[in-house]
Amino acid sequence: MAVTGRFVLLVALGVVPVVVAGLQGADAAWLALVGWLALSIGAGVLDLSLAASPRRLVLTRSLPDRVRLGETVTSELAVQHLGPRVLRAVVRDGWDPSAGIAGPNRTRLRIPPGERRRMSLELTPWRRGDRRAEEVTIRSSGPLGLWSRQATLAAPGRLRVLPPFHSRVHLPSRLTRLRELDGRTPLLIRGQGTEFDSIREYVRGDDVRSIDWRATARHVDPEVPGSMRLMVRTWRPERDRRIVIVADTSRTAAARVDDEPRLDTAWEASLLLAALASHAGDRVDFLAWDRRLRGRVHGAGGAELLARMVDTMAGIDAELIEADWASVPGHVRRVTSHHALVVLLTAADSPGSARGLLSVLPQLTARHTVVVASVADPALLAARHERDTLDEVYGASAAERGLLDVERVGAAIRRLGGITVTAAPHELPPALADCYLELKATGRL
Amino acid sequence: MTATRAPARAPAAETGTDPVAAAITPTLRETFRRRRAWIVIAAVLVLGALVVLVVQGGARAPGPILGADNPAPPGSKALVQVLRAHGVDVSEARTAEAALDAAASGATVLLYDETGILGAERLTELAAAADRLVVAEPGFGALEALAPGVRLAGAASGPIDDVACAARPAERAEALSDGQRLLTVDDDAAAAGWRGCFRDGEFGYAVATGPGPSGGEVALVAATTVFENEHVDESGNAALAIGLLGASDELVWYLPGPADADAAEAPTLAELTPGWVSPVVVLAIAVTIAAGVWRGRRLGPLVVERLPVQVPAGETSEGRARLYARSTSRGHALDQLRIGAIGRIAAVLRLPRSAPVEAVADAAAQATGRDAASVARLLVGTRPAGDRELVDLAAELDRLEHDVAASVRPDDRTDPTGRRP
Repeated sequence: MAVTGRFVLLVALGVVPVVVAGLQGADAAWLALVGWLALSIGAGVLDLSLAASPRRLVLTRSLPDRVRLGETVTSELAVQHLGPRVLRAVVRDGWDPSAGIAGPNRTRLRIPPGERRRMSLELTPWRRGDRRAEEVTIRSSGPLGLWSRQATLAAPGRLRVLPPFHSRVHLPSRLTRLRELDGRTPLLIRGQGTEFDSIREYVRGDDVRSIDWRATARHVDPEVPGSMRLMVRTWRPERDRRIVIVADTSRTAAARVDDEPRLDTAWEASLLLAALASHAGDRVDFLAWDRRLRGRVHGAGGAELLARMVDTMAGIDAELIEADWASVPGHVRRVTSHHALVVLLTAADSPGSARGLLSVLPQLTARHTVVVASVADPALLAARHERDTLDEVYGASAAERGLLDVERVGAAIRRLGGITVTAAPHELPPALADCYLELKATGRL
Repeated sequence: MTATRAPARAPAAETGTDPVAAAITPTLRETFRRRRAWIVIAAVLVLGALVVLVVQGGARAPGPILGADNPAPPGSKALVQVLRAHGVDVSEARTAEAALDAAASGATVLLYDETGILGAERLTELAAAADRLVVAEPGFGALEALAPGVRLAGAASGPIDDVACAARPAERAEALSDGQRLLTVDDDAAAAGWRGCFRDGEFGYAVATGPGPSGGEVALVAATTVFENEHVDESGNAALAIGLLGASDELVWYLPGPADADAAEAPTLAELTPGWVSPVVVLAIAVTIAAGVWRGRRLGPLVVERLPVQVPAGETSEGRARLYARSTSRGHALDQLRIGAIGRIAAVLRLPRSAPVEAVADAAAQATGRDAASVARLLVGTRPAGDRELVDLAAELDRLEHDVAASVRPDDRTDPTGRRP
């Protein structure tokens, strides 16, 4: 049960009869007061008994399954009224606050018996993951609008909010670089990191150094007797290489660097790398790992790969537990037994927390090419040159200590045969993509 | 946030198949069923309390103090019944007129004015009309009107057995119980004929007797203890009470009521304001409650946001900086800055990573044109003695690093297009 502002106003209006009666005498004023209160409550009770039941409703949700973070979707709720009286209701849909409902979440509905109305809410979620609505609250008021009945009904709904993939702006330039590596550019350069593709007839403009004389000798030109067709070899970059992305979701991923959690940066970097690698014809597998497998994408290619990756990433949040690196080589072996590019997205910033990673790195580098990508804190870089006051000097030396630690861990990784990529949060995805292109160009995949 | 009519009305078949949404809010009946145990317990407690009250008789109001038919401890039913049994005609009066009428016919009057309703005029009038007036617990106003010079003097220290006067009821009573109040009689009052009985201490008397304005007898009993059911049987209380009140055949038991209030006194607040003010105040309270219910009723339960854990990454560095500051590890802090600077200078000057510090210092001195010894002192030698020196050395290190970087940078005068000015 709930009362409306109109009821409060009605009670307050009682001041008029009370004062008018009070001019006759105090007893009359008291009588008027009691009478008015009885009248108001009576009207309220009458109104309540005439209000439609908020319980006899059929609620049907229709909303898209997925939305990218930052985009807006329309959530629709169809309310079908089964009761015998007209339902005048205010409806509130119980979405999570982070579902980002536009405007006040109050929809007025007037539904005649047996009919159905549809209400829609604009949602702009501002957090990744599953945004849920468990219930819908209906407040049904009577014809006078004084008292209302209220009930909360179960109407579960779920909207999966995918990582935004802001770093896709870097994709076109990297694809151009990839195409330059590929045989589709006019330069038919044979070199490291390329493999034999096919033999075709020479056309004017081809590099004469790429003419394959043995193939030319086998191709007799039928039109001009005695002469040969010139054949050239074409080359293309290595294809069908394996890339295994391992994202660390343990406590270090919960750190917020430059207003972005490390985990979100890892997602951006993995998505850009996966998009680039799948265009280049490599096979990408994705693992999210702390002490257990939090998510895995295996054996997907093309557009499906990215769709499955964002879907897997959406529901994963960092947890405050220590990563168990000892089982990572086993998981990588389960994905592929061949040589692969293993990308570890983690925080290699202090010798203490990187000890687990360093201990298993030799196992990985023995078989695979390993890239350790981690976020550098731009705040540390800025802090180390601020030395005006005593506090700032201590801050600068602490920042310097932190950066020296990062350097030490990086050096240890490189000594163990890994490749390090370190950049500020917004620069890590393109830096990782560049590292991949460089490895591809030099044939180290 | 818009409501639209659904394109098609739901077909009947669909109506039959779609389940009605399950309600999370319990109905009234469900609430009752769920809380039945508590409701039963509350009901049993309330019933038990009522039964106990009824059995103890405490449910009734305690009744007026010294009420003639009040059997409660502070009442006087015991005394009145004894007096009646001895043939005294006890009548109750609630108004001054009734008391005056009875007094005029020669009755003894007992006056107990609990709240001081009677004004001075009424009191004098009553004292003049009555042959014998007994005033229980006279207030300040009553003493001023009836016995100027007799004053209130606090409570007695214990039972009183010093009769100290020759009045017959007092002599017969011999002693009074604990719980008496005291009066003092000054010289003027003594000259006017006032006598104190039952002395406590030097000047306190529990009872004072004297002449009324027109020759009658007035007795002032400072406490009500003597007449109360609870204490009337103690010590000589009953003897004094019966002696004072049973002297004549008729007794008027006068407890002034609200009607006796002196019209000349100041009106109360309720009389000053118009009749509608109090009801409007009550109405305002009702409106406030209704508005509270209106604004306070939530539209559905709160939705809890499940927040992921996030930690600002800079906290480690800040914590380390505070540790340095708290332990004033100036040398250690400066060493960190030096290690970083040496590494960067070596990188800028293209020196191998394994180059010794002295070599780096020499190279830096050469590049910047500074004194080699001072650069070496800055990079390794000096230990900061105080905070000021630490700040200076840190700034100096930064300047050196900056100068080294500037010395190897191509000439700044070349603009980006490569043309010289």
